[in-house]
Amino acid sequence: MTMTDKNASAATIAVDDAADTRAVRQAHPLVRWLGASGTWVLLLDIALIALFSIISPGNVFWSLQNLESMLLAGTVTVLLALGIALLLGAGAIDLSVGSNLVFSSVVAALTIQALAPYGVPLAITMGAIAALLAGALFGLLNGVIIGLFDVNSLIATLGTTGVGLAAALLLTGGSDIGGMPAELQAGFGLNTVLGFIPVPFLIAVVSCVVLTVILRRTRFGSRTLAIGSLRLAAERSGVRVRWHLLTLAVMTGVLAGISGFISLSQFGATTVTGHSNDALAAVTAVVIGGTRLEGGRVSLAGAVWGTALSVILQGGLVIMGVPSFWQLGALGLVLIVAVVLDRIQAHRRPVL
Amino acid sequence: MSNDATRPKIAIAGRHLAKKFGHVQALSDASITVPSGKVVALFGDNGAGKSTFLKLLLGIHHKDAGELIIGDEAVELHSVRDSQELGVDCVYQDLALAPDLSVVDNMFLGHEVPVRGALGRLGFVDRKEMEERADDALRRLSIKLPSLRVAVQDLSGGQRQAVAVARAVMWSKTAVLMDEPTAALGARQSEIVCDLMRTVAASGLGVLVVSHDLPRVLKVADDVTIIWRGKTALEAPAAGLTVPEVVSTMVGYQVGEAA
Repeated sequence: MTMTDKNASAATIAVDDAADTRAVRQAHPLVRWLGASGTWVLLLDIALIALFSIISPGNVFWSLQNLESMLLAGTVTVLLALGIALLLGAGAIDLSVGSNLVFSSVVAALTIQALAPYGVPLAITMGAIAALLAGALFGLLNGVIIGLFDVNSLIATLGTTGVGLAAALLLTGGSDIGGMPAELQAGFGLNTVLGFIPVPFLIAVVSCVVLTVILRRTRFGSRTLAIGSLRLAAERSGVRVRWHLLTLAVMTGVLAGISGFISLSQFGATTVTGHSNDALAAVTAVVIGGTRLEGGRVSLAGAVWGTALSVILQGGLVIMGVPSFWQLGALGLVLIVAVVLDRIQAHRRPVL
Repeated sequence: MSNDATRPKIAIAGRHLAKKFGHVQALSDASITVPSGKVVALFGDNGAGKSTFLKLLLGIHHKDAGELIIGDEAVELHSVRDSQELGVDCVYQDLALAPDLSVVDNMFLGHEVPVRGALGRLGFVDRKEMEERADDALRRLSIKLPSLRVAVQDLSGGQRQAVAVARAVMWSKTAVLMDEPTAALGARQSEIVCDLMRTVAASGLGVLVVSHDLPRVLKVADDVTIIWRGKTALEAPAAGLTVPEVVSTMVGYQVGEAA
């Protein structure tokens, strides 16, 4: 066979053989939206709101006051969930966000205490900056262990969970720091817009929008999902995977730092022992919302709906006079159903 | 398809390469030459050193001795990035595609096209531009896919292979290496991939293909290199070689060094 007829035979081949019927076209956006598990959680949220509104005594569930308290209750979890969802997208996790929150709030409280004599606005501003930096530093520690030393993120952040909490306890001497200036709560933590939207909730909304844009529209976002989808593919394409994981860990840390400041400004005091379940609550919300634990798929909106589900259940059951531990069980059940549904879907997908 | 005057004669070559891992001499005297515009098949029995050979050519491992040539010039490679910068890309046996990402995002992973202006410097990507360029690259190889936005995991085996080949061709300027490109495929899809090799070579790139699929690859290759126990046992034109001849060289009958 000569060169020329080899080349001639090559020119007109297409990979469209009839045997390849497994290949699918991309579905209509509306169909995909309905198919995403985050959508079902949103619908469940709406159904529960309707249900609790109807059956609560005097329909008190359906009130701006209750809405405000639920938004307030969900803000911190949403912020922590956003960070965890991003990390999960890259196949990593951060279980230390609760400890980070506590550590950051302690650093902020000490800063505010120290600077209060120089003026309350200055003290509060510096406290916010201190919380952000403390969160970022905590995230950097996680990132160095996970990214640069290539340690499994579950183990690494399990370790820093203890370290962070210990640091917070050492800084406070074991008791919470109170006596924050009244302006912290009135001006920020418990302040509202339009009378029912807590100011910190707006930060959560803005964070969600910004991170969604980063995830969907930037190189950083698609590389995050590539790392979680198949780390080897990202490495072979020249993506600096370890630095990328470090950056994600710092971003998650900053979100935890913001959460720490918000928590401090809501309660007017640190709550050192009150956040041991925060990380797991955030992971639950994220996974219910359709983010895959194994990486490669993230739904930030889903994380918000998942958080809302937990808040609605909690609020609704309390108003109904049902012991709140039912909420834990119901949430656990939804988590299991969400994951099982995802598995069933995965099994239906053709494998090579 | 391209201006032959600007093409190097030798796309990629290795001369007398040696590599030792601990006490194991994986390669002792391996040579191969892949001219631009030609398909060269690399055959060898399991353990003959084929994958070590490929990894030296790609810079994944560093050679102990010998000479590497890319684009007519002697080079030293210290990482995959070095060979990538010299225009050499590889279609790995496991394809290395991210299953959750779309065809476009996979083809541009690590080479994303930024949008114009300030947003581009912030890392915003121009998916429309990327889609057009990916579509163009696929069309030049006569590859048709249902959609470029579909996730790679929703493609068939042959389509994935085609995407991996197209991606490697898109980012390579001198040579494309293919490691067992037909191993996971059926007969019809293997034919398609072999035809792709011809199309890629016709565009002026050197193509090196490692394969166990002797009959099919013998038909498509211009030259054949056979390694046996870490040494090149044969470098010859494919025309005139038969499968039994190749097999007997692969297992060492005609080299006269059988232990």
